[in-house]
Amino acid sequence: MKSKLLGAVAALMVATAPALAEYPEKDIQGIIQWGAGGSTDTVMRAVTPHAEEVLGGKVVMQNMTGGVGAIATKYVGAQDADGYTLLMGAENPQLYKVMGLGDTDYSDFTPINIIARGVPLIVANNDAPFNNFKEMVEYVQAHPKEVKFGSTGPGGLPSVVTAMLTSEVELPVTFVPYDGDGPALTALQGGAIDVMPAVLGAAIEGVKAGRMKVIALVDVAANPALPDVAPITVDYPGYEKYLPWGPFFGIFVKNGTPDDVVQKLSAAYGEGVKNAEFVSLIEGRGFTVLNLSGDEARSFLNKWQSVTSWLVFDAGIAKASPEEFGIPRP
Amino acid sequence: MDFAHFFMSWIDLQLLSLVAIGTFAGIYVGAIPGLSVTMAVSILISFTFSWEMYDALSLMIGIYMGGVYGGSRTAILLNIPGAPSAIATAMDGYPLAQKGLAGEAIGLSTTMSAVGGFVGIAVLGFAAPAVSEFALTFQPRDYLLLAVLGILLVGSLSGESLVKGIFAGALGLTIGCVGLDPLTAQERFTFGQIELWGGISFIAVMIGLFGVSEALQQLQHVDSEAVKQVIRRIVPQWSSVVKYLPISMQSSLIGVIIGALPGTGGDIAALMSYDYAKRVTKNPEVPFGQGAKEGLIAPEAANNAAVGGAFVPMLTLGIPGDAVTAIIIGAMFIHGLNPGPMLMIERPEMFWFILGALVLATIFMLIFGLTGIRLFVKIVELPRAVLFPLILLLSIVGAFAVNNSIIDVYFMLGFGVLGYFMKMYGYQIGPVILGVILSRLIDDNWRRAIISDQESLPRLFHGIFTSPLSAVLMIAVILIFVSNTPLWSWGKRKLFPAQP
Repeated sequence: MKSKLLGAVAALMVATAPALAEYPEKDIQGIIQWGAGGSTDTVMRAVTPHAEEVLGGKVVMQNMTGGVGAIATKYVGAQDADGYTLLMGAENPQLYKVMGLGDTDYSDFTPINIIARGVPLIVANNDAPFNNFKEMVEYVQAHPKEVKFGSTGPGGLPSVVTAMLTSEVELPVTFVPYDGDGPALTALQGGAIDVMPAVLGAAIEGVKAGRMKVIALVDVAANPALPDVAPITVDYPGYEKYLPWGPFFGIFVKNGTPDDVVQKLSAAYGEGVKNAEFVSLIEGRGFTVLNLSGDEARSFLNKWQSVTSWLVFDAGIAKASPEEFGIPRP
Repeated sequence: MDFAHFFMSWIDLQLLSLVAIGTFAGIYVGAIPGLSVTMAVSILISFTFSWEMYDALSLMIGIYMGGVYGGSRTAILLNIPGAPSAIATAMDGYPLAQKGLAGEAIGLSTTMSAVGGFVGIAVLGFAAPAVSEFALTFQPRDYLLLAVLGILLVGSLSGESLVKGIFAGALGLTIGCVGLDPLTAQERFTFGQIELWGGISFIAVMIGLFGVSEALQQLQHVDSEAVKQVIRRIVPQWSSVVKYLPISMQSSLIGVIIGALPGTGGDIAALMSYDYAKRVTKNPEVPFGQGAKEGLIAPEAANNAAVGGAFVPMLTLGIPGDAVTAIIIGAMFIHGLNPGPMLMIERPEMFWFILGALVLATIFMLIFGLTGIRLFVKIVELPRAVLFPLILLLSIVGAFAVNNSIIDVYFMLGFGVLGYFMKMYGYQIGPVILGVILSRLIDDNWRRAIISDQESLPRLFHGIFTSPLSAVLMIAVILIFVSNTPLWSWGKRKLFPAQP
């Protein structure tokens, strides 16, 4: 038995010892900002094996949740810029500055791939006393603070969508914070919250099964996954100036990572995102594939940040003006 | 037709061997502190990416079932739980090994783990939709009450001094708060250190408090004789299985429910059923904490029952019951399935396949668990001068393996020294671990509950007493609290005067 134990120890030591070879010479750590089973998590776990094939290395993924993704972001920011720690995240860090969540955002990171964009959907518990956006607004205004909206913290999708909504109508609701859209949608089904603004992909299975109802599709056009639901702009054309807007998923490394490593990772994930199997998976869940890297990814990130920062600032939920950080008005 | 998939893993030689290999490997993954089932299964996602889905699932299910059981091995033999769900097992398992009854203890824990496993699977097979609907009705206030109920276990875990137990529990709660606040990203107890943003790794705390402190303590008596283990029988007598069956069934039911709740898992289930066993067992042959068999059986049955429980919301609604099922959902997704409420309708064969593989894994767990015990218990007969340095080494490797972080190793060693002094001064370490486990659950759900009720305590209590579920939990909290105070025995004397 002793020799067995010693053998296991020796094997572990060999596995963790650094070897001298070309990148990747050891396992790469992938830090996922959101919890297991949520949309960011599933996208990352679905694309990474395809990228690994091209990369010729292993990416060991780990969920590091909390603080609207700030914990994972700060963690990766504190690691060496050697390409062995990937940040697998969503849009949230682009709002940290105006939300007063610190001075980091994706400008401190180099985009490897902006994978896909989602469409926001507002869903409600089946027992909620309203069936569409108009009825919801009326009910909320008649019962201030009583309707519970799930949230994922300041700067998360629910807060941005709500900022958008409150730019046109008054919505006095109570926000109950959850770790991500997965746990919040679970709470919605149990009636702990009444309404949840979530990305279509995370809610679609529940909607199809009749476990929750759609209140609004926050987009300018109908979605193939929900052909019967009219976009919110039909009744509220005022939202057209913000839309289409959606959360996105991207993979990043810390700035200062050697160029050849960035190239290698971008090429690998670029191929991975193109994979037919992945594309059909991701589109089936209602996401739009973007597959952006390099300058294209940078300009996407900048545009997204400018639109959204000013949106939340104008809605009065931002802690600081985007101007302070040199974020131009769109 | 779909039901035929139940036997798919039984008759296909490849699937059968994958379940067997998974279960065998799982027992060792579970037994080594620091190697967790969660870690093993997430590594397997990438490893089995190109495999057939059934192959990948067979391996993962085997590892899951075996791993939950495996944690009890080191808990019984060395007082070092291999996994958080085996913490309660150490409390009475290790005293049994100290008495030379390690073989009997492992035999009994194996059999009862299997009973728990089967109960969990039976509930999954026969009542999954009903149980998952029930689990969904838990509101933030119910999770809060459940966590408070958990905190009251300090009363059971603090040994001789309740004051010391409360102190240790509070220390655990504080440790659990370290890091960026999960809801607002405020820094708490981080002293500006980036290393502390992500909090202190719970596994590092566990390995330190149990493993290192035990090694430090034993090194004081490095030259004393090791306890000779008497191995008369390993497979427990039928009569003792029958005798302990009621308690293991009750513990299993606690395990299934706690396992089915999204947000709580086998670790809390095991601790709660340990406490339950302690309360309902009127006259244990040996007092709890000194080798009571009920105290060994209850957590072992509960943590394996929690496996079936965790699959309940996963297979019926696509909602993970714990961290491992969350990863299996991810695996099913990348293999082209859409785990969600439609899975049972669109792909019912998956349900039966997983059920069959779980039963098979439980059978293998029983077989592998009951064979090779003789060899395994030899570990405790090793000279201490060999055994404890080895444990220290394993602890370091285990703590490092959790996050590949050297900081975790420092924390592990620090908590080891702390644990050593705690034991020396008569402080139990169980409450510390309990506090760390429950900290997040209390913190998040207290805030959710009070925010939901518009930050008004009267509204919160109104909600508690108008919901049957919350009311039952609240009454349980009050009863257990009162039963731990002198008021209880005073009231008992008043109401039921002692018989002459």
